[in-house]
Amino acid sequence: MRVRRLVVGVMLVGLAAIGCSSSAEAGSSHVTLTVLAASSLKNLFPKIGDQFTAAHPNVGFSFSFAGTDALTAQIEQGAPADVFAGASKKYGDELSSKGLIDVFSPFCTNSLVLVVPPSNPAGIQTLTDLTKPGFKLVIGSETVPVGAYTRAVLTNLNAVYGSGFSAQVLANVVSNEDNVEGVLTKVESGEADAGFVYVTDSKAAGAAVTTIMLPSNAQAVATYPIAVVKSSAHAIDAQAFVAFVLGPTGQGLLADAGFGPPAG
Amino acid sequence: MRTGRRGNVLPGVAAGVAAALLIGFVLLPVLAIFLRVSPGRLVTALHSRVALDALGVSVKTSLIAVALILVVGTPTAYVLATTNLRGRGLILSLLELPLVLPPAVAGIGLFAAFGRFGLLGGALRAVGVEIPFTQIAVVMALAFVASPFYVRQAHAAFAAVDPELLGAARTLGAGPGRAFWRVGVPVARQGLSAGATLAWARALGEFGATIMFAGSLQGRTQTLPLAIYGEFSGGDLRGALAIAALLVVVSAGLLVGVRAMLRTGRAALEPRWIRSSTLTSASR
Repeated sequence: MRVRRLVVGVMLVGLAAIGCSSSAEAGSSHVTLTVLAASSLKNLFPKIGDQFTAAHPNVGFSFSFAGTDALTAQIEQGAPADVFAGASKKYGDELSSKGLIDVFSPFCTNSLVLVVPPSNPAGIQTLTDLTKPGFKLVIGSETVPVGAYTRAVLTNLNAVYGSGFSAQVLANVVSNEDNVEGVLTKVESGEADAGFVYVTDSKAAGAAVTTIMLPSNAQAVATYPIAVVKSSAHAIDAQAFVAFVLGPTGQGLLADAGFGPPAG
Repeated sequence: MRTGRRGNVLPGVAAGVAAALLIGFVLLPVLAIFLRVSPGRLVTALHSRVALDALGVSVKTSLIAVALILVVGTPTAYVLATTNLRGRGLILSLLELPLVLPPAVAGIGLFAAFGRFGLLGGALRAVGVEIPFTQIAVVMALAFVASPFYVRQAHAAFAAVDPELLGAARTLGAGPGRAFWRVGVPVARQGLSAGATLAWARALGEFGATIMFAGSLQGRTQTLPLAIYGEFSGGDLRGALAIAALLVVVSAGLLVGVRAMLRTGRAALEPRWIRSSTLTSASR
């Protein structure tokens, strides 16, 4: 009994020492910003975060990537967060109208492409091949931005390929994924024959997918909103990070990854 | 148990508090669902296309999965419980593996085994079968995750059957198959039903393996749990709550139904000589 108490005591003292030393090392104000960001930012945002930390060593990051609809639901349910970076203005409007985020700034744009596995099991070469019955198409669900943009693009394509086009294509959907990563993974693994993802995803995937571009007049332009979450306990640092994303370093990294400028 | 010693009130109170805490912890979330969904809203949800489609997919796939588990799991559990097969402890442990595996592991494992580029993908394709994103994939995910719940219970039930009963059946000229079917299954029926109910409930609630291996498509692979998640992540908390309430009602309803069936079935079906011997062998 006495030995056990001694061990517990030593552990507690040790923990206290660790706690003191870590806060002492980082100065008194080490901050971890929780950033809720769209799945399509998964490759890029940690890099922007690293650059920000290089300039502000007392600020670290905890990123949570998911579909923008899920992120919005999380913030509405009171998830602790400092920055919201979504893939659709619709959800930025929803959150700011409910007073949950500050006024958002559009920080980049994105557009869609069609991707197929390099082995191309269904032999999809052009958009018209998408009407062939029986192949496996994976897209985003209706509520996640990539899924909404996909449906908008297909509707736009009705003007090019005839009014039944989008219905015929949608009949081949075998799964509505929660976020763009789900679509990309299923195409990369070859389990799906085709999927609609952002141009930045296909760029990041490189040779893992074959990309088929869409006619620019049928594109739906995805505008990405970024804002400080109202309930943030680190609003000043969060604001600095938002400014950093909108500034030259952030915009440079975004452009390198294939995102368009926010004005577009 | 009660010795009448007054000094032992404290443990009783502590156990009572612990039980109240546990009951509250389990019941509160279930109650909260119903407190946040008015009965009118629940009825509306029953008419929503998403909920109805998900209910159809869930009921169909879970019943098929449980049927498959029964057909394959019952003889397996019987053999493991009534013979001295070497390595049966190991086999039983292997069959129970899905109990401790995270469903996400089950999902990725099913892909690795039965996906288009999985171990058996080529062979399946050669005969024109592609499993991922189909209702077969849903059934497989459910069966994989739910089977141990039945096999475990069935094994325990068969192990509790008096070996002399089976021996007597054999002495009277019944083959092993007949002894299994005419004596083992009827005597163990209660345990088997309980196992089937547990497996069914687990199948109905399956989420992780399904969404990975079968994807999510309304009316085809979107089960009730997937629909709840879809509504929730789509920002429709009320829709998610309504489908959750539906799932609670369906699960609880079938549980009650199976129990009632068990009670009436036992009196009607059981031959008298078995009843008397189960009474003796099952008296604890």
